[in-house]
Amino acid sequence: MKKSHSRIMIASISVIIVMSALYFTFTEDIIAQQEDTVFVTHSGSVIKTTGEIIDPVYSTLLNPEYTESTVEFDPMEYLREFNYGKVSQLPDGTTLREFTIIAEDDKIMEVSPGVFFNVWTFNGTVPGPTIRATEGDIVRINFINNGSKPHTMHFHGIHPAEMDGVFEIVGQGGGRFTYEFEAGPVGVHPYHCHVMPVEEHIVRGMYGVYIVDPKEGRPAADEMVMVLNGFDTDFDTENNFYAANSIPFYYQNNPIQINTNELIRIYVVNMVEFDPINNLHLHANLFYYYPTGTSLVPSFYTDMITLSQTERGIMEFEYEYPGKYLFHAHKIEFSEKGWVGIFQVNDNPDQKSQLEIEYGT
Amino acid sequence: MELDNKSSKGKIILSGIIPFAFLVLLIAYIFGPGSDLLDLGVPLPEITMEKVDFVDSEIRVTVRNTGPIPVEIVMADINDRIQPAAIEPDRFLERYETALVRIPFAWNEAEPYRIGLTIEDGTRFEKEIEAAAPALEPSLELVGFFAIIGTYVGIIPVMIGLLWLPFIRKISKNKYHFFLALTAGLLLFLGIDSIEEALDVSEENLAGSFNGALLVATVVVLSFLGLYYSSEKLIRRAASSRIAKPTAIALMISIGIGLHNFGEGLAIGAAVGLGSIAFSTFLIVGFALHNTTEGIAIAAPMSRGKALIGKALIGKLAVLGLIAGSPAIFGAWVGGFVYSPFTSVIFLAVGAGAIFQVIITILRWIREEGDKNLSSAAVVSGFAAGMLVMYLTSILV
Repeated sequence: MKKSHSRIMIASISVIIVMSALYFTFTEDIIAQQEDTVFVTHSGSVIKTTGEIIDPVYSTLLNPEYTESTVEFDPMEYLREFNYGKVSQLPDGTTLREFTIIAEDDKIMEVSPGVFFNVWTFNGTVPGPTIRATEGDIVRINFINNGSKPHTMHFHGIHPAEMDGVFEIVGQGGGRFTYEFEAGPVGVHPYHCHVMPVEEHIVRGMYGVYIVDPKEGRPAADEMVMVLNGFDTDFDTENNFYAANSIPFYYQNNPIQINTNELIRIYVVNMVEFDPINNLHLHANLFYYYPTGTSLVPSFYTDMITLSQTERGIMEFEYEYPGKYLFHAHKIEFSEKGWVGIFQVNDNPDQKSQLEIEYGT
Repeated sequence: MELDNKSSKGKIILSGIIPFAFLVLLIAYIFGPGSDLLDLGVPLPEITMEKVDFVDSEIRVTVRNTGPIPVEIVMADINDRIQPAAIEPDRFLERYETALVRIPFAWNEAEPYRIGLTIEDGTRFEKEIEAAAPALEPSLELVGFFAIIGTYVGIIPVMIGLLWLPFIRKISKNKYHFFLALTAGLLLFLGIDSIEEALDVSEENLAGSFNGALLVATVVVLSFLGLYYSSEKLIRRAASSRIAKPTAIALMISIGIGLHNFGEGLAIGAAVGLGSIAFSTFLIVGFALHNTTEGIAIAAPMSRGKALIGKALIGKLAVLGLIAGSPAIFGAWVGGFVYSPFTSVIFLAVGAGAIFQVIITILRWIREEGDKNLSSAAVVSGFAAGMLVMYLTSILV
């Protein structure tokens, strides 16, 4: 009796051991065949898979069903959204532009399809809203800190020391401060939080663009804002993602629609941290470049600019030929991690016939 | 009387169940209403890339969720550059669940690659491959290649070692004890070697949640106990049957060494499969020399077999040699074609446990044979010599 008992025990123990070993070893092989999804790589090869496609590049372009995983933040909307504030006149006739900016640090943003990252924000998005005024206007920012850490707003530009957002720390949980200064100089400038550790407050997303237009204005154009930024989602002081306007590969999947022979003006600001430089290359074209946008005369005619931290400027160009044109960091590492986009140049409805004639003859 | 008996039995069963019931209650409480109590700290996700295969224009990564919480794999990269990929069956991984990530990539042979996977919170995990090598496709040619390697490092050396039998048979009792102890020394070395290998594999390829060292320890002990139990049976039965006791011991030694050689074959096959090894004649020679000593281990007890002479003996030796040596071939096949670090660790640990059991058997045999003395000069020096010989030949491998 005893013997058979122990035999059964040993047998059952060994069966358990063998079964669990098999379970761990072969689980991947026991997966039932499902229907295949076809998937084309960037270099054109066709792959069939029974599973899912994970690809921030690919997600929406050729796979409409993947639109569900697109992010909440809309770079296309941000691209051409300028905030001029609540406008009123001061007794002396000066224009007053009032803005309300709320700082928060508990937002979870989908920074790339499927990647959810805790960002710190001005008005809920990264980048914060684009603030735009005309030279000489009074800009008044009602700043409310609803975050759990102290924050400030530090504008690049010219203003009194106490409006610089460095020493006047605004406390968490509803702290307030009113920034007020005369808009200037003309150009494109960044604003960002300047609370220590500044690097952390910036890379978590507390930055935005501040544009000061010249009084006489600039020529009419299709205007856009591009903040070159990145996210270090695993906190190893290296960016995991790069982009123009936060979402990697977004403008590659959703090309920016522009017209032939129409002036394009881009306000570009580099907010990438950790990497000493960033750059921008435009395909099949050259652009006039106004560093910092402070002069109305361009300094360069080029297809490539190099930008260090918070370095910025204005690009102006027109496309003659319709088609798809890339723009991207020519530091290819950055473009392969998301900082790449496409201009879809369409025939200008006003000039279409003219172009057709040119090609036809 | 019978009623009494029954009720007392019921009491016994009940007293066995009560603590168990309390345990169930405790667990239910922790998972249910008491879960807030343990809601301290932040559980960190973890995934482990257990296997990377380089196939035609594609890199295939077997990934397992080895953390305490479910994860979602959202992105793949090669050398820290984002790549489109497919994941099968899907991107959601429960604890311990695996998935296959297929990354189309025109990789170059013999070049290093860093494979990265990013999960939903943005954490990136990386696995470095020293040199890309095409995944082995089972082909007759490769099957033959592994069989030849297995024969070279497993069967032939063991057979050569067995040729020492006539020599061992003619020497004095003292010298015989020396050889038996030498065998024990050799085996102890092999056992330690297997454990080291198992720990290495688990450290490199298994996630922390497998408790690599404890897994190895557990399997070693279980394997030891299993063989201990069955060998006792075998030897006891041998006493009452035709099989001579020395043959039974030699058989157990062969089985133990066979299990060890299976692990060795696994290591060789896996190394070829992972491209981390260049097979040199030197390496084969090293393994061969190393394994010749295993033949001696089998020959030593056999040499005291009484009635065996001529063809019967040769037949028996050949069978024992095959038992000990041929698993190297099977190991190489498994390691080369269906490598999994988890199975490797298990087999290496089983091999170690088997060997420790064999050592016990030999030491007991020496004690019985000799004068209940394990500290004679012959035994001690034999044991030491065994370890030394193995160490020296291991340098060649």
